Amino acid sequence: MRVRRRRTFLIAAAIAIAAVAAAAFAMRNLLSGRTGGPMQVVSAPPDVVARGKYLAEAADCAACHTAPGGTPLAGGLPMPSGYGTIYATNITPDPDNGIGRWSADDFWRALHDGVRRDGQQLYPAMPYTSYRGMTRADADAIYAYLMQMRPMKVANRRTELNFPFNIRLGMAGWNLLFLHDSLPAVSVGSSPAWQRGRYLVNVLGHCGECHTPRGIVGEMELSRSFTGFALGRVAAPDITPAGLAARGWTAAALVAFLGRGLARQGSAFGDMHPVIMLSTRNLTPADLDAVATYLLGDSPPAPTSLAAPDPAEVAADANGAGRISYVALCAGCHGLEGNGMPNTVVAMRNNSTLRLADPRNLIVAMLDGIGAENFPHRQSMQAMPGFADKLSDAEAAALANYLRVTWGGEKGDVTADAVRALR
Amino acid sequence: MTIPIRPLTVTINGRQHGPMDVPEGLMMIDVLHEMLGLTGSRLGCGIGICHACVVIWDRDDQTSEEVRTCITGAGFFDGKRIRTIEGTAQTDERGEIVALSPVQQAFLDQFSFQCGYCTPGFVNAATVLVERLKRAPVPRGEVQATVAAALETHICRCTGYVRYYQAVRDVILTTPGLTRDGT
Repeated sequence: MRVRRRRTFLIAAAIAIAAVAAAAFAMRNLLSGRTGGPMQVVSAPPDVVARGKYLAEAADCAACHTAPGGTPLAGGLPMPSGYGTIYATNITPDPDNGIGRWSADDFWRALHDGVRRDGQQLYPAMPYTSYRGMTRADADAIYAYLMQMRPMKVANRRTELNFPFNIRLGMAGWNLLFLHDSLPAVSVGSSPAWQRGRYLVNVLGHCGECHTPRGIVGEMELSRSFTGFALGRVAAPDITPAGLAARGWTAAALVAFLGRGLARQGSAFGDMHPVIMLSTRNLTPADLDAVATYLLGDSPPAPTSLAAPDPAEVAADANGAGRISYVALCAGCHGLEGNGMPNTVVAMRNNSTLRLADPRNLIVAMLDGIGAENFPHRQSMQAMPGFADKLSDAEAAALANYLRVTWGGEKGDVTADAVRALR
Repeated sequence: MTIPIRPLTVTINGRQHGPMDVPEGLMMIDVLHEMLGLTGSRLGCGIGICHACVVIWDRDDQTSEEVRTCITGAGFFDGKRIRTIEGTAQTDERGEIVALSPVQQAFLDQFSFQCGYCTPGFVNAATVLVERLKRAPVPRGEVQATVAAALETHICRCTGYVRYYQAVRDVILTTPGLTRDGT
């Protein structure tokens, strides 16, 4: 109740502040708002452009600003939310559709304040809430890189938000409440690697935008940073030091996962796969180490090794329904002992998804399957079929429980209702 | 070491097999090959990619679908009805083939395959498609795309697919009731 009352208060406060802010910002922004102006000509030294490219990849601009199969950075990816759909915009230097008329100051304002060149507020689907911590030099380097790309004449799609969220000025009030100069540290540390990692993770990588739970008006609940959240169908798991260690993650495993998309704990799937392919695979070894150092802290918690299955939980599957389904549908590839096949099929034993307390991602993978995926260094994983039409809710629940208990060290507490809810 | 045993009863091409003891973990293709002498289904990749091993699963709701036997355990088929390539053509009481199915005949007429390793899978996929279209015809203009979508998971390394797809398209367009007017 207290949480709900606090939220109600926050919404009321947000609306009130938005109204007050509206007057002030309307004067300033609408008067200063610009749409025309000259095409910017940017000449930056090659090393700055190269650094900008590296930073743009670390900031994973492409994941959203490129539509599936679309022109790189020309926008178009639809981002559905509870408030409507937002389309990522064209950030190539096209003067009419992209940022061709934007100055470095305009670009900085977008990243730092969430304000477009025309003075309109951005929505926090654009993670300026994280990018706000970016240094001006890094923002300028990304700008220099983007401005030397080929301009693409790809029109932007209008956002389709419901009232009152379609009033961009409301975001001014939202920003007063929820836009912070820096995001809290998720681990304890002070080493140079840890500090670099904090910048890479909290700011450029904007990891918290998916991995931190969101509140009722879409704000990151920073007191629960990195504890995991289901923004889409596949949830972003808990990546706090404790959460990672509980699923057996070590710094070396994180480096392998972020650099190659594959680790003993499993392969990247869902929204994390493009993150690997477009962003983290490009990080230098030193930066990957820094990310792992920050995620786990300067004194990483010891990884929890997988315990033997709890006999009580095993006994709960008295008729062996879960194992029967596993042998029938899964063992052909994942193996009777859950060891998978090297370079082809991930292991179930110790799999990070099986070791999550929340069964959501396991159920989603079983129902939907996972498409064939390519990984760096010419690695690939074959497609996993979905079994939605071959497993009843009860069968799927029993199978999920068998997997969790046998190779995840988790409880067999998945119910048929939990499966039905995800169909 | 003992291997756990599971009972299996399965109806294949209209004939019931079992109950028989099957080692747990045996994939259905091995049961077909090693225990039942039905060697027509092909083991290709063994990891569910090439689809040479598919059989037809006749579901209780009168629909049919492909199942990859190289990655599906025998236990999945307990109590189920399936068809393999051996059951596709019409045979007489002595087991001699008297008539090929329209899909089989079309593959022969159009020289669809060369080495033939993938052919049982293609026959089953095309048969499932024809049966689906009997229940839900598609506009004639969509036949090409429908065939491509239905067969695209099947891998053939000899022929480049063109004659397979062409043969199935012809079967669909010349069999009454599988298509309707329109594009």
